[in-house]
Amino acid sequence: MTTKQKRKTERSSSRGVSRRTLMGTAAGAAAVGAIGGFPAIVRAADPIRTIGLGVSIINEIQGQASTDLGFPVRGQALGYGAMFGKMLNQNDQYEIAEGYFNDMDVFIPSKVWQPIDTTRIKEWDKVTNLSKTGKLTPESAVGQGDAPFRHLWLDENGERVDGPSRYISMVPAWHNADSIGYNPEETGRKIESWAELLHPDFAGRVALLNVPQIGVMDAAMAVEAMGIMTFKDKGDMSKAEIDELINILIDKKRADHFRAFWESFGQSVNLMVSGEVAIQSMWSPAVTAIKAEGVPCIYAFPKEGMRGWHGGLAISAKVTGKALDQAYEYINWWLAGWPGAFVARQGYYMSVPENVKKHLEPEEWDFWYEGKPAAKELPDPFDTIIVEKDEVRDGGSYWDRFKNIAVWNSLMTENDYLVKRWTEFLTA
Amino acid sequence: MAVSVSTVDSTSKPPGDVELPTTPDDAERRVPPPALVGGTPAAPAGFAAVKADNREGGFPTLWLIAPATLWLLVFLVLPLLGIIVFSFWDTEGGKLIADPTLEHYRDYFYTEGFFDSESRNFLTLSVFIRTLGSTFYFTALVMVLCLIVGYPIAYFLAMQVGSFKWQMALFLLCMVPFWTSYLIRAVAWLPMLGRRGLLNELLLLTGVVDKPVSFLLYSEFGYVMALVQIYVVLGVGPIFFSLAKIDKAIIEAARDMGATPFQIFREIIGPLSLPGVAIGMIFIFVMLMGEFATAVVVYGGKASTTGTVILNYYAIANYPFAAVNALMLMLAMMIGVVIILRVVDIRKEL
Repeated sequence: MTTKQKRKTERSSSRGVSRRTLMGTAAGAAAVGAIGGFPAIVRAADPIRTIGLGVSIINEIQGQASTDLGFPVRGQALGYGAMFGKMLNQNDQYEIAEGYFNDMDVFIPSKVWQPIDTTRIKEWDKVTNLSKTGKLTPESAVGQGDAPFRHLWLDENGERVDGPSRYISMVPAWHNADSIGYNPEETGRKIESWAELLHPDFAGRVALLNVPQIGVMDAAMAVEAMGIMTFKDKGDMSKAEIDELINILIDKKRADHFRAFWESFGQSVNLMVSGEVAIQSMWSPAVTAIKAEGVPCIYAFPKEGMRGWHGGLAISAKVTGKALDQAYEYINWWLAGWPGAFVARQGYYMSVPENVKKHLEPEEWDFWYEGKPAAKELPDPFDTIIVEKDEVRDGGSYWDRFKNIAVWNSLMTENDYLVKRWTEFLTA
Repeated sequence: MAVSVSTVDSTSKPPGDVELPTTPDDAERRVPPPALVGGTPAAPAGFAAVKADNREGGFPTLWLIAPATLWLLVFLVLPLLGIIVFSFWDTEGGKLIADPTLEHYRDYFYTEGFFDSESRNFLTLSVFIRTLGSTFYFTALVMVLCLIVGYPIAYFLAMQVGSFKWQMALFLLCMVPFWTSYLIRAVAWLPMLGRRGLLNELLLLTGVVDKPVSFLLYSEFGYVMALVQIYVVLGVGPIFFSLAKIDKAIIEAARDMGATPFQIFREIIGPLSLPGVAIGMIFIFVMLMGEFATAVVVYGGKASTTGTVILNYYAIANYPFAAVNALMLMLAMMIGVVIILRVVDIRKEL
């Protein structure tokens, strides 16, 4: 609590130097001449702006960056649609885009971001192979869909190239793997397959995520696991595959299989806490939130593999000169460990785990990354205790979890058609 | 009294209450009050004065309406023109291209396999038209229910409650739900209707059912019920005002001349309250057609409204197609309002 307050005051003081006061000071300073400590204030004059989702844009993170880097970093957290639209159509309104690799089919050809020079990324060598080759460990399987390594490598003009190159589209950062959450008291059995999502036993007690691109992926995992349909590439379905899948879903919906479709994290938590659903597609931090309400919840580790997603940091094409240096500084700061430790306490992983380890207590590292029982009570990033002693994180260690990514969140070629058919599914 | 109302309103609104997306609705909401004020006995004279003034030169009147006109121009007409222009723009992977196309309109109306008797979509309308249709269906249903529920409330307030003080007090009581955010009113239904909700507990306790029923929440039933509760007050207000201004002497006279209560209602109260009914129904209609949050919260996203479709396309940054949906929704709303105004000639009745 006290550290948080301290951080807040630090941040507000750094913010206190607004552009307006500065212009006044600057005008006066021109006449008066050099004042002690003035150069530091001059640096603060040019903030860099970063936009993204609430996963990585959190006051505490950008506040800490401002303190550590000596220039203000202004974060703007947006909803997915607003973020996507702003990144694409207003690249003069931000320096840093905290984006997601599944949108790269749009962003790489649009050239709204500049290729990032890996020689300016200090710890590029330490970034794991999960994003470089798709294999976290040599024996890992490579998932279908928009895995980071498929959208990473560019030439200096921003054109795609195969394999390792000096330039990249985005610096891989926070990521996670999602699957199904369930209440073991309600299901009465251990859930080990995506097929359970459509199992008749749970009719009327199932919820899906109402984001067409992701919801359809979970459904695809389910029908494939049931053996009633196969896909050439779940990350890029054909119209015929989308049709077949949606028709199966429509029949299921008409049979009242689905209790609800959730849109926000909080909604998914409520659905399980209030006993409305027994099993649902879910984001892993929800498990902690549900258990905090005293409702048993397990995050399944399906044998077919999990659905991964990967975020990262990109630089707008409009950024040059000093702002570009600052942008690289901010990105390097992200890889250095502090923010990685921050998001780790919310259950997310970072692309340079060894640096995160330096900023976590050993007990935290063991729990969040190694998948071991908590040696003591552990807090979330805001110092609220969320993990009880001896609790074990579902899904095992980081390396176990990412050894088997069946599919990555993807933007399909037939995205418009998918959204249209998804609308039909919801209306049916 | 007016002061106390406004303070309560401004302080009770939670900071998270986002009002931005409903700009057109807001404008609709903001415009009508003068018409209501016009319903009080003093106003017609004022109206006449304004009109006369207008004819004699109209300079002051023009100045009086200038702020409102400017406001509407900047925050309603311009954005609207923007939406219309965007609806013709091309997109390529989310990027807007200023190259006029009718493609989005074609996508809106077109159904694959419409003429193909083998197809699952044989002779079915496009999903977007069907969504607009179901939006309209729920709107009509809720409007009828709001009228059935709301009219007696307004009638009771205006006719049965004697003192003006009590009328106002009870009317304010009706408005209590509006002191909280819209979303909270929707979310409040969850602990009521859920599987472990109050109603289910009651049913289990009294032994009516032996396991929780699920048709209450995330169902058409729950959805319609929540909508009625949320919007009924919008209807009560105008109906109450038009009932309250009926001269009690007319009713007295009718009773003296031997009219039955039913006759009094059919000949006097009914027709005289029609303008209030029409205005109330227009409020409810316009709000309901743009509805999307209740469908998500109380219906569990199991129905699409045109509002959710617009959001979905906004979410994938397909702004032109979202714009087409918005325009079609607006067109449907305009037609609906015109129909209501055709049924009741508000100008004449006032």
